[in-house]
Amino acid sequence: MSDLAYYVYCIVESAATAELPGDSLPPAIEHGATLEWVATQDLAALTSQVSLVSYSEESLNHHLSDPSWIAERAMRHETIAEFVAKRVAVVPLRFGTIFLERAGIEQMLSDKREELRAILERVRGREEWAVNVICDQSMLMSSITSVSPVLRDLTERAAQASPGQSYLIQKKIDALRVDEARDALNRIIDEVEQTLAAKSDDAKRLRMLKVETTEYGEMKAKFAFLVKKSEFDQFSDAAERLAREHQSAGVGLEFGGPWPAYNFTGLKKDEFSV
Amino acid sequence: MSSPFDQVLIQSDVEQLEQADLSLLETLDHVLNRGLVIAGEITISVADIDLIFLGLNVLLSSVETANEVIKKRG
Repeated sequence: MSDLAYYVYCIVESAATAELPGDSLPPAIEHGATLEWVATQDLAALTSQVSLVSYSEESLNHHLSDPSWIAERAMRHETIAEFVAKRVAVVPLRFGTIFLERAGIEQMLSDKREELRAILERVRGREEWAVNVICDQSMLMSSITSVSPVLRDLTERAAQASPGQSYLIQKKIDALRVDEARDALNRIIDEVEQTLAAKSDDAKRLRMLKVETTEYGEMKAKFAFLVKKSEFDQFSDAAERLAREHQSAGVGLEFGGPWPAYNFTGLKKDEFSV
Repeated sequence: MSSPFDQVLIQSDVEQLEQADLSLLETLDHVLNRGLVIAGEITISVADIDLIFLGLNVLLSSVETANEVIKKRG
């Protein structure tokens, strides 16, 4: 058995590989290796050889506990997928897809031909854009007090009440503000999702693995949108409008992209129906 | 003092990505958590990916903090 295996980055149509000769591509995941297309009649996978010393199941598991090892390679994987996505329709694969034999890749391309072609059609001429909803909690809370009639009323009553009553009313105000701030934020998040989904071909709300704090506040929601290149201006106009509209409530939008369509490689819900 | 991340930061391809103004964490999130999952002959399980990502997250946060400290000193 050879001690080499094939790392697979992404999949394109065979015809598209003419625009992307191996020597024009960014560096492979491991230094010294070259990128190579493994093609069937109509689909081609971009691959490079890796050593089983590093990429066997056992070594890979060992490397998984070393974030710097992974980070470096994940970056190269992304650089390659992005390079290809800028030029042709591409199905980006997740990090760490490894085949022992070239024939295994050819087999996969023919077994998954229909699914892969459907994804390529869906992402053709489109890019993925990330939109994160960021919230400055204290700004949101103060904007709530100024717009909510119930809170305004209670605040006035607290000002006129005796110290004891005032304390109790203040407690109530604090609890209400938290509730109202949460509701207001959720309404904004829904509005962002619906407005931008209408300006794109597909939308996904992504899970957040932990609370992420940015310089503008805490990340409260994370979306990916699949946007036609030709309709990007409408999408970005809508996004900028939303950002301006909610700025005073302490809610900001953070944009990222264009990405290869990593989040749109699954089948759409309606494509599952028979 | 050296962290395991020093090795990553000096890599030129990481610098290129930073120049391209990509968030490191967003990149890792895409490459590790998204993308079509094809059962190759060797694959990383989804549970493992979560663990790697959480580890990276913690590591990157500490690198960001370290960079800020360096900037302030500089």
